[in-house]
Amino acid sequence: MKRTIDTIHSSAVVPAALALSAVVMLAPAYTLPVMHLVFVGQAPSDTTIFSGIKQLWRQGLGILAAIVFTASFLVPLLKLAGLGWLVVAVWRGGEGQSRRLTRVYGLIDFIGRWSMLDVFLVAFLCGAVRFDALASVQPRAGILAFGGVVVLTMLATRAFNPRLLWREETRPA
Amino acid sequence: MPSDDQLICPLCGQVHRHQPLAPGQRACCIRCEATLEERARLGPDAVLAFALAGVMLAIPAALLPFVTLVKVSAVRTSFLTDSFMGLWSHDMNALGFWVLCCGVLAPFALLLVLVAAVWAERRDTTGRFHQLRQLARFIEYWAMPEVQILGVMVAFFKLGDVVDVSIGPGLWCYAATSLFTLLAWRQFNLQPRTGWSVASAPVET
Repeated sequence: MKRTIDTIHSSAVVPAALALSAVVMLAPAYTLPVMHLVFVGQAPSDTTIFSGIKQLWRQGLGILAAIVFTASFLVPLLKLAGLGWLVVAVWRGGEGQSRRLTRVYGLIDFIGRWSMLDVFLVAFLCGAVRFDALASVQPRAGILAFGGVVVLTMLATRAFNPRLLWREETRPA
Repeated sequence: MPSDDQLICPLCGQVHRHQPLAPGQRACCIRCEATLEERARLGPDAVLAFALAGVMLAIPAALLPFVTLVKVSAVRTSFLTDSFMGLWSHDMNALGFWVLCCGVLAPFALLLVLVAAVWAERRDTTGRFHQLRQLARFIEYWAMPEVQILGVMVAFFKLGDVVDVSIGPGLWCYAATSLFTLLAWRQFNLQPRTGWSVASAPVET
């Protein structure tokens, strides 16, 4: 019996470790610049994820700002919170919550890819805007950290086995 | 090991028994309510048609100009793979390769795997079909053409005031490829797990 419980606990260790690594990466992802903009006639500037969202808002593009805010901020946080909930439920035994937790897992799995929005945005700008002195966009360390958050959360979701949520119900009498 | 007439819920592990499904009908797990199977309204021919259309459009998507930017009198035309090059040339090789994988390689590979899976099913090579199905499921998780398109659209609005942007034929082809990839995958994913000739629905054992 002890071995079974150990196996269950260790099954959640890998997703927990990946999710924890993603949490650590969140701080540089949100505080470091994701790109450096140079446009002739304007002072060169660094952009973070939040300043990019604010810029969209100031341009009057509220819907786009909301989309980027959701994809780049809410989705990673919700994914990590959800993964934390799932892992804790497996470790503590979430009897009676299996169906709800399975829905949480399905949601995390579904929304995961949309966090890549900002990575694709920065990659596109860096590849397309290359006018040397006239205009250029260069990636900065923040996008590397943010990409790391996205990859780690997606790997954590994949590493988590949702059947662990149902072990109480399937345990033989 | 499940037998051919059994279906195991991928989320909770509940074992179900097959029953025929009508086109458009969905079968859900009796325990966790996850969708187990859904019979497509269109058959495997639709998967093949969508996937082949996607493959044909993938070539111009990769080769034709993606966008053209104009700043003062300077004109720059970029291509689909320039996103990768933009990161790679700034020593972000891993991230650049990752963007290439999710935005270009995985979607295009998914289309080829879907064509191969339909072909394997037609030739009645069940083992190969199941291998390709597993491979398609793996690739699909990392294929994100629709997210890339949304990212490019947001970038257009960001550039609005400072650079003139015009969409090239490569982007239109890429958008169409993405649409066909989604349609092909959706139809493929709706086919019964045991093969397309055996329509079935689960009931409690």
